[in-house]
Amino acid sequence: MLCVTAVTRHAVLADDEEYFAEERGHWSLLPRGRTDLPVPTRPVDERWIRSFVDAHVVAELRRAGLQPAAEAERRVLIRRLTFQVTGMPPTPREVDDFVNDPAPDAYERLVDRLLASPHYGEKWGQHWLDVVRYAESEGFEYDRHRPGAWRFRDYVIRSLNDDKPYDRFVEEQLAGDELRPDDREALVAAGFHRLGPVRRNAGNAVVAFSRNEVLTERTNAIGTAFLGLTVGCARCHDHMFDPIRQADYYRLQAFLAAGFEVNLEIADDERKAAWARQQQAFDEEVEQIKAQLKEAQGRREERLMEQLKALQLRAPRPLPTISTVRNDDEQRTPVYLLERGDPDRRGQRLGMRVLGVLLPEGTACLPESTANPRSQLAQWITSRDHPLTARVIVNRLWQYHFGTGLVATANDFGVNGEEPSHPELLDELANRLVDAGWQLKPIHRLILLSSTYRQASRAAARVAATKIDPDNRLLWQYPSRRLTAEEVRDAMLAVAGELNLEAGGPSVMVPVDQELIDLLYKPSQWAVTADRTEHQRRSVYLVAKRNLRLPLLEVFDQPDLQTSCARRESTTHAAQSLELLNGQLSNRLAEAFAHRLRTLAGPEPGRIVDRAFLLAAGRPPTPRERAISCRFVETEPLREFALAMFNLNAFLYIE
Amino acid sequence: MDDWKHGTRRAFLRDSFCGLGSLALATMSASAGGGETPGRQSVPHPLAAKVPPNAAARAKSVIFLFMAGGPSHLETFDPKPLLNKLHGKPRPASFGDARYQFVAKDARLLGSQRTFARCGQSGIEVSDLFPRTSAWVDELAVIRSCHGDKVVHSAAQYELHTGRTSPGFPSMGSWAVYGLGAESDELPAYVVMPDPDGALEAGQPMYANGFLPAVYQPTMFLPGATPVRNLSAPPSVGLAQRKETIRLIRDLNAVHPAAGDDEFAARMNAYELAFKMQMRAPAVFDLSSESSSTLELYGIGAEPTDDYGRRCLLSRRLVEQGVRFSVVVSGGGPGNKQWDAHKDIEENHLRMAAQVDQPIAGLLQDLKQRGLLESTLVIWGGEFGRSPEAQGGVGRDHHNLGFTMWMAGGGVQGGQVIGATDEIGLRAIERPCHFRDIHATILHLLGFDQDELTYPHLGRDERLTEIQGEVIEPLL
Repeated sequence: MLCVTAVTRHAVLADDEEYFAEERGHWSLLPRGRTDLPVPTRPVDERWIRSFVDAHVVAELRRAGLQPAAEAERRVLIRRLTFQVTGMPPTPREVDDFVNDPAPDAYERLVDRLLASPHYGEKWGQHWLDVVRYAESEGFEYDRHRPGAWRFRDYVIRSLNDDKPYDRFVEEQLAGDELRPDDREALVAAGFHRLGPVRRNAGNAVVAFSRNEVLTERTNAIGTAFLGLTVGCARCHDHMFDPIRQADYYRLQAFLAAGFEVNLEIADDERKAAWARQQQAFDEEVEQIKAQLKEAQGRREERLMEQLKALQLRAPRPLPTISTVRNDDEQRTPVYLLERGDPDRRGQRLGMRVLGVLLPEGTACLPESTANPRSQLAQWITSRDHPLTARVIVNRLWQYHFGTGLVATANDFGVNGEEPSHPELLDELANRLVDAGWQLKPIHRLILLSSTYRQASRAAARVAATKIDPDNRLLWQYPSRRLTAEEVRDAMLAVAGELNLEAGGPSVMVPVDQELIDLLYKPSQWAVTADRTEHQRRSVYLVAKRNLRLPLLEVFDQPDLQTSCARRESTTHAAQSLELLNGQLSNRLAEAFAHRLRTLAGPEPGRIVDRAFLLAAGRPPTPRERAISCRFVETEPLREFALAMFNLNAFLYIE
Repeated sequence: MDDWKHGTRRAFLRDSFCGLGSLALATMSASAGGGETPGRQSVPHPLAAKVPPNAAARAKSVIFLFMAGGPSHLETFDPKPLLNKLHGKPRPASFGDARYQFVAKDARLLGSQRTFARCGQSGIEVSDLFPRTSAWVDELAVIRSCHGDKVVHSAAQYELHTGRTSPGFPSMGSWAVYGLGAESDELPAYVVMPDPDGALEAGQPMYANGFLPAVYQPTMFLPGATPVRNLSAPPSVGLAQRKETIRLIRDLNAVHPAAGDDEFAARMNAYELAFKMQMRAPAVFDLSSESSSTLELYGIGAEPTDDYGRRCLLSRRLVEQGVRFSVVVSGGGPGNKQWDAHKDIEENHLRMAAQVDQPIAGLLQDLKQRGLLESTLVIWGGEFGRSPEAQGGVGRDHHNLGFTMWMAGGGVQGGQVIGATDEIGLRAIERPCHFRDIHATILHLLGFDQDELTYPHLGRDERLTEIQGEVIEPLL
């Protein structure tokens, strides 16, 4: 995207206020359609179709000369479903129950049980946290931890578990502080605007520059997360591909111009006073030791250092705080069109307005004095007829279930993004979402109950199908996938019997190699959580720190926590193998897993091996796997066998 | 089908594992897939060594000598007699304005106490901070007109490494590996050797792969005997034992019903590479096989050069092994342990330069003697230079409007000065070279056009240079 060429292109683009018919006619900007269901061409398809989802999928398959794969085995289905919905493996008991459930609605009940599980919010919350560039520290050199940042994570998890309607979920994040200024939940939600990296610096800070960076970051986040448009591309020039004028970008930014960060302490006065006393006593104690340290040497110095370390673990916990935003109309930042995005090159002053291409020509801006500006923006984004909002979120759900969205570019529904593989299906899912009050769980249910979702991951006709549709965009089989970074860690903990399922609360810092902590500009920021049982909690509860990510998560493609991530990569490389073979966590958990196997299965190798496969792969070993494993277990340490289990494709992949 | 699965494929796996057979990275997936790859496209391995598309490719590897904190151009490679004359006076208005992080509006100019001498055949002036490096000035292209957009460390460090002033974008090292792949399957392709004195403001994200896949991430070499994490099994597990375990993993993964897939084959191979790395990398880290004269060349065994010397020598050994991109950092921890001379430019730069001068000269000489300099691009510089004005008497503040970097080897025409700052070193006025021009030039030397090396992210085909950079032609 060359800023330079954009300037020259400007001449051939429409005037600021005028849009060509083809600009307005881009598919994702048009109203959602309502189409008749495709009529199945074969009786066999009639039986296969469980809902409109399948009707659309099979119609496209047949058009391409393909057919759906057979239904997967029950063991495969329950492992797939449990990971997809909760991010964890099923227990052997759960597998057994489902496999042996004779009721005709066994599958439906399984889906409903999983969607009702509190772990659904933990798994799907992580997806949303990826999209909204969630991290708990501010990045850049100070990388300060936002006080109470974890509350936003808990808000997301709770909202999803409660199946809060998506329109409300969006409104709260955009404008919770305006809509319900006394409601803590809404204030936490508005912390959405605070999630991005913030550059703070000492010395002569250029205030206008810093403010511009903040507003830019916040505007871009709204574009990608809710609109699925690369609005940010229009900051320096008219968008190269999409009908978004540069002025549109700044008009959108104007909705945010009165919003400023605020950290609200939510303790009452009594608690604040008590805290101040504690903090003072603590500070005095620290000062005392430090004074003694100045003169101490040798043994005594070491003892004092230890004393200091121990003391620091007992530091009073910070007062409960909500990091959020509040409007301050008097401080409102005047918004100008900035030539090339440069705050020094101000053009015309602009008011607030949503994207012109979705408005009648010549629609005026809202005056700067508009009260509750972000609520206005939220109202527009969540209106039933908004062409993008519902499509974008149902596409995200589809993508997380099938690896690729109906629109493969989940954060870009613009001209440069991909066209939907099944446009009518996308619209129908979006219609259902809006018609049923924006709740997400019914959409999950539709998808999960479909025959499309229940297909095996290895179609009998895969060789021929690969030639026709190599990327499996038409879903002629279920696309198997590797576990995500968090799933790898959580599943190792679960299989080893060490997973601590406690939910919510302040984030946990686990032990990390000291050399990595030393790479932090302020190593003291990494204060390992004292309670060791906390170290075994689900990954979504570990601190998300921009300048120090856990190596285990990093190598398995955790996003970099700096910008929105619409879809994770899934790479395969040697650092992953080294982490799983030699890493501290995998080795420690292999030890625990071995211990668990001994306890559960006794000394007999065959029983140990059976149990290990049931726990780690959700199925018994094949005879060949059993023979190979037994031979190993008979002569080698069980710990090594347990470690090998963590390295099996049967553990690391979902079929 | 069965025959394919249990015959050829199994044989392949058995033969190629645990060093029993060598397997080039490039063939990783292709051989493993055996042609038919149901359900997934056959793609070459992301780290397969690739031929740069551009015939102009001159460099195969890059060593970036990263002088963190911002070394002064005024004390090193850009002599300014007028600045000395104007010492103690306010900056004449004719030079224009500058934004500093700390220096106040009424600050006075600070002359340099360094002496400069014409060096080499080219006669380029270099200060007495670099008595040894200056002997190699005929290999250097000294770019005196560098400039960037930011005057604070973190943002400027991001810009230096990633071309953007905020975190989240891939570094030049990640881009280089994305473009060129790896030549070595025993070592990581992109290595960062931080200064053991501590961290830098921009932290690890400045070196990171950003939105590029994790396979292009840097490997941070940590201080101590085992620079790479996870390169050895826990002490209680012997190597022979671990080999058995890996064998078990291989055998079990091979009978898995879905083993015919490319990705699984790639995963099998990742274990082979991991094991090879574990077996062979420690020997590369071990400098004891080097002759005493080589060690001496780099100042190893003597202070204050020992540490930087070791890391420079290691960077040469990595280049020999086909590592694509190494960053050797000078400076870390609190500002004055970097080149960040706010308090006292003399004290700071004398100390910092003494640590790196001999190692850098040694590296250039060693690369040259071994015929590696031609294919290795060596880059020297920091995230900015320092202010002509004094900060608090004898210090200098950050300064981004004009400063010096140099390049050598890898197709660079040495013995020349490119560009110039004004007479007090405030602003690049002759052939200004922005970081994006430096980046475009590095890519060019590696054989890439900046427009061609792109990766889709959030609806854009992103590249290293945000705005079109210009290749610095005289340098070639």
